[in-house]
Amino acid sequence: MHDMIRLLLCAALVGAPAAPAFAAGAVKNPDTYTYLTISDADSMDPAWGYDTASDLMILNVYDTLWTFDGKSTEKLTPLIATKIPSKENGLISPDGKTYTIPLRHGVKFHDGTEMTPEDVRYSLLRFMLLDRAAGPSSLLLEPLVGYPNTRDDADKINPKVWDDVNRAVTVQGDRLILRLPHPYAPILSILATWAPVVSKKWAIANRDWDGTQATWEKFNNSSKEQSPFFERANGTGPFKLVRWDRRTKEFVLERWDGYWRAPAKIKNVIVRGVNEFGTRKLMLINGDADAIYADRPLWSQLQNLPGVQIVDDLPTMQNDPVVFFTFQVNTVGNAYVGSGKLDGEGIPADFFADKDVRKGFAYAFDYKDFIGDVLRGKGTQATGSIPNSMPGHNPNQQTYHLDLKKAAEHFKKAFGGQVWEKGFHFTIAYNSGNMPRETVCQIIKRNVEGLNPKFRIDVRAVEWPTFLDAQKASKLPIFVLGWNADYPDPHNFAFPLLHSKGDYPPYQHFKDPEMDRLIEEANSETNPTKRKEIYFKLQALEFEEVPHLNLVDEVRYRTQRDWVKGWVNNPVFPDAPYGSYFYTIYKQ
Amino acid sequence: MLKFALKRLAFLPLVMFGVTALLFLCLQHLSPEMRASLYIKDPRQLSQLESVIEKYGLRKPVYVQYGIWLKQLAHGDLGYSETAKMPVAEAIMSFFPATFELTLVAFFPIIIVGVFFGVLSAVYRDKFIDHVSRFVAITGYSLPSFVLGLLLLMVFYGRLHMFPPGRYSLDTDTLLQAGNFHHWTGLLSLDCVLNGQWSAALDVLSHLVLPAATLLYIEVALLLRITRSSMLEELTKDYIRTARAKGLPERVIIRKHALANALIPVVTLSSLLFISLLGGVVITETVFDFPGIGHWGVQAAEQLDIAGVLGSALLAAFLFVCANLVSDMLYAVVDPRIRVGGS
Repeated sequence: MHDMIRLLLCAALVGAPAAPAFAAGAVKNPDTYTYLTISDADSMDPAWGYDTASDLMILNVYDTLWTFDGKSTEKLTPLIATKIPSKENGLISPDGKTYTIPLRHGVKFHDGTEMTPEDVRYSLLRFMLLDRAAGPSSLLLEPLVGYPNTRDDADKINPKVWDDVNRAVTVQGDRLILRLPHPYAPILSILATWAPVVSKKWAIANRDWDGTQATWEKFNNSSKEQSPFFERANGTGPFKLVRWDRRTKEFVLERWDGYWRAPAKIKNVIVRGVNEFGTRKLMLINGDADAIYADRPLWSQLQNLPGVQIVDDLPTMQNDPVVFFTFQVNTVGNAYVGSGKLDGEGIPADFFADKDVRKGFAYAFDYKDFIGDVLRGKGTQATGSIPNSMPGHNPNQQTYHLDLKKAAEHFKKAFGGQVWEKGFHFTIAYNSGNMPRETVCQIIKRNVEGLNPKFRIDVRAVEWPTFLDAQKASKLPIFVLGWNADYPDPHNFAFPLLHSKGDYPPYQHFKDPEMDRLIEEANSETNPTKRKEIYFKLQALEFEEVPHLNLVDEVRYRTQRDWVKGWVNNPVFPDAPYGSYFYTIYKQ
Repeated sequence: MLKFALKRLAFLPLVMFGVTALLFLCLQHLSPEMRASLYIKDPRQLSQLESVIEKYGLRKPVYVQYGIWLKQLAHGDLGYSETAKMPVAEAIMSFFPATFELTLVAFFPIIIVGVFFGVLSAVYRDKFIDHVSRFVAITGYSLPSFVLGLLLLMVFYGRLHMFPPGRYSLDTDTLLQAGNFHHWTGLLSLDCVLNGQWSAALDVLSHLVLPAATLLYIEVALLLRITRSSMLEELTKDYIRTARAKGLPERVIIRKHALANALIPVVTLSSLLFISLLGGVVITETVFDFPGIGHWGVQAAEQLDIAGVLGSALLAAFLFVCANLVSDMLYAVVDPRIRVGGS
């Protein structure tokens, strides 16, 4: 027993990385690529999946009309379609409302049946009409029918929906025709990411929606486990789903040799959920994993491991963390706002409606420190809601920087000088377990409290359910969250973060009519240069109004075995850069 | 004995009803928004919070929701676990065998080592073996299981390339998925043996070594301490002194007289230990990527997966009642003076 303890203590004290399990050049399981993640997929149904783990599998098993070309987030390459519609090739009508999409012949589903144009139409319709609560259907409903839901506020089916979706999506011969109610610039990007092609015949044979008006309502907002698409798949993508073992959180994919392009280079892919980082790391070192999920705080623990390669400085499609101000806080029974008055013991409901208060906070944040300490210098300060990986991002946009003198000036002006004179006391919340967001809160507390001894801020970690509850009730004066894009287009940042009907402003009670107008204008503008100009104006207005603080354009890193070849980073892919499009990957 | 067992089992539905009613009562304190967090995991879904609450009927009074659940239960439906991504009954049938197998592999060594060294420690009080046993017990009891688990993984898997995490290897996985492999019991090592797949059985057992060793080292401490103190108490009693005065050999005194009496608290503790192991050893399962019931139960609780929590609670109640019954019966075996169910 003494020997065992000695052995264990030595291992703990030395902490040296283990020796590689394999001689240099040897590849373990050369036909199988194994990726270990922490995410747990929700469903394999393309009309249901709205989480990175599900979307990663859907990406590899199904094909969309087109996809992004290599590393590009703008250039598209055809998949099920044979051409990318544009005004130049005449496949987009001059008014920008009709898209004609020629479809490929000879594409086969994994069950060997041939894909037809009707399958493509059915897939788009099913994606929209399934419309599960908190699902992705709105991404297509919005551009194709002009409203985001199939149900009204009372959860009743909108009687217009069936006719509208059928008017929007039709087939003429081997061409798919999309008719939009208004020009919608991001539609190509959306179709590159969402609504992949499923087999109508297979769906009907497995008791899913039969494609008729008589039955669609039965499948609207239904339970995911009732769908045959939940745990099985019959796509046209480069990999077949062999199984999803929900017990071990393991997906097993096998190369589809009947793929319409050249078959994938790797024969098998395993994606498995392993929550414990130490276990993932050891499996990577031992060659039982080829790539693992590991975020920035774990970066230092992965340095100089034998046989392990780190690819760093990879762009992302996210804006996280973001510090949101609530313009009208619900002060009733709200412990987050103290007394609920501007008396030094709390804050009033409209505390953050005062622009000087917001600017005071903006100048009191140490952006450089945050990037240097928490992100280890990886990333650059964000210049607006649209990250630097997106078109429409303005690298020269004026930003806030740490300037405590200016911060004090703004606080002195706020509420006619009362803020500075009386002080305040409130609580900032972040969802527990998120280290970068916690650090953001601590930096705000430290710097703002340092300005005036009458300024007091408490920082509180809350569990996600509590966080949701408080946020829904508009009880959080400041909350720290983030945004991951659904598709690579500036609209997917501008709308959710800045439009009064977006995802965050309703919770903040923030509304700026000029911002709303600019966002809508940019969305229907198909000329990239003009669109860019509108987004530049929007970001200038955002700087002036400060509805929230954008902190960083983060870069990520990927950890993989050095025998992994052919990996292409595209921040559009779900779970990028950890997970990826496996089609190009091989081991050598 | 049978009458006693049936009488105790008759209480089972009552215990289960009490447990689930209590859980639903606790849920009254959670708002519908909080309970919707099970389905809203990403800020992208925030705008549809109300729609989710409506869909899953989270605004209905808790007693109505409990009524619906009881009605489902009456039809043999335990509900759907969002965290397991499968019906609760299926989740229990999937996760429980893994934990049961791990428990079986870990439990008997824990009992053997704990009782053996506990007795040894008492008999050789304040001698070298006693000091060593107590040191092991104290370090085992105070060492967090995730530290020990990771250390064992580092040494054996990371350095010596033995005993990998997970439940089985890639080759065994392929074998298990083959159409001709029969899952008779859910205990993989046993199933492999029954299918005549000896190398797969060894592979499964090799995956059990480190989690079982972790449990052994952590859990043996308490058993060792209880056995030791119980034995010490017995060894100082008059009947032992009498036995010694009569000239009985020390071996007989310890084995036949002291140990039998000292085992009563050990049996109680062992049954509780067995239940706690069966209920799931969350940290050990997490560190070793072992898909057991504990890991699922905790996930269900963390994410407010009500169906999952109720399913786990029902299982725990069932195990608790059964294990208590077994331990009561074991008392009679250990000490014939105790008559189970007698007046």
